[in-house]
Amino acid sequence: MSDGNPDVMDVLAGLSDGSPVADLRRQRPDVVKHLQGSDDAIFAPAHHGGFTRPEREAAALRVATLLRDGALEEHYRRRMVALGETHPLTGARGEVIMAHIDCVTMAPDSASQADLDRLLAAGMTPHAVVSLSQLIAYVNFQSRVLAGLRMLQDAR
Amino acid sequence: MKRPMRDFTHGELQWQPWITPVDLDTATPEQLTALKVTPSNRAVGAYSLVLAHDPEALSERSPLYNGIMFGAKGLPRADRELGAVAASRINGCAYCASVHALRFTQLSKQPEVMERIQADGVDAALEPRLKAIVDYSAKLTRDPAAITAADAAPLRAQGLSDMDILDLTHAVAMFAWANRLMQTLGESAAPATAGNPL
Repeated sequence: MSDGNPDVMDVLAGLSDGSPVADLRRQRPDVVKHLQGSDDAIFAPAHHGGFTRPEREAAALRVATLLRDGALEEHYRRRMVALGETHPLTGARGEVIMAHIDCVTMAPDSASQADLDRLLAAGMTPHAVVSLSQLIAYVNFQSRVLAGLRMLQDAR
Repeated sequence: MKRPMRDFTHGELQWQPWITPVDLDTATPEQLTALKVTPSNRAVGAYSLVLAHDPEALSERSPLYNGIMFGAKGLPRADRELGAVAASRINGCAYCASVHALRFTQLSKQPEVMERIQADGVDAALEPRLKAIVDYSAKLTRDPAAITAADAAPLRAQGLSDMDILDLTHAVAMFAWANRLMQTLGESAAPATAGNPL
C-alpha cells in the first residue's frame, strides 16, 4: 500500500489497515510486494501478447467459479464488466480457452501437448499461451492464500 | 485422460516443454532481464525459457517464489518444503515432488519422513507436528473453499504461530501455481543417464 493503491489481497480478504492479519502479512514485505506485482503483471500488463485484458478477467472469473470462491468471483466479474465486456470468451477460441482453464484448474495432471496445440491452432501466440497458463495458476494460488488469510482472520 | 504418476523418487528429473522456448539468441532485452541472463550466465533451463514468453509475469513470479520459499525467519524452510511436497503429491507433479522431497531431507536430516510419504502418500503416519502440516497442506491443495477457522487449531496445537501458518499457506499456494505451470506447459521425463531410479 506504499503507493496509496489498495492491496488486492487485503481487499479480497477484508483486512483493514493495521488489522492483525494485515500486519502479519507486512512481516513478509517481499511477498506482499511481488504478489501485488504479479497481479498487476497478469491483469494489466504493458504488453498483453494477444490475450486481452477482458479475456484475462473472464478467464480468472472461470477459475474462481471452479474453486467456489464467491468473493473472488465477484472481484473478477466486477473488473470484467468495468472493462465494458460481459462475454469476452466466446466462439471457437473462447471455447478452447475455457476448456483449458477447466483442465489446468481441476486436473493439471491430465494436460497434454495436444492441449497447447489446440490453443495455438485457435490463434493464440506462445506469449498468450504462457500468459493464460500463468493466469490460471496464479488464481489457483490466490484462492489458497485467501483461504489461509480468512482462516487466520476468523480464528482470532 | 489422466497420466499415471511416475515413481516418486529423490532424484532430479528432466523437463520437456510442449511449446517452443524463447531462444536466448533472439530474446528481447525484457526477456533477458526477466531471465537474469548476463554475458557470464547463460545457464537457463527450458522451463524458464518457456515462461520468458511472458516476461512481465516471470519478473514478478521469481522474487515472489524466493520470498515465500527462502524468506528469513518464520516457518523453518524444511516445513515449507514439506508443504510443497504434499501439494505436489496431490497435484500429481512428480518433478516438483521429487525436487522438494530432496530439499526437505537435506534441510531436516530426516530421510524417513520422505520414505513414509513415498510409500503412503499424504496419509502417511508421521509425528504429530509434521502430520498437522501435511493435513493442512493437503486440504488447502484439494479444496481451498473447505478451509475454515477450525483448520488453524491443529497447527496451533503443535506450536505453529500465526506467522508460521501464513508462511505455510504461502508455500502450499505457491505449489498450486508451480505444479500447474510445470504440468501443463510440458512434462517431466526420465533423463538419459543410467542409474537414475526413473
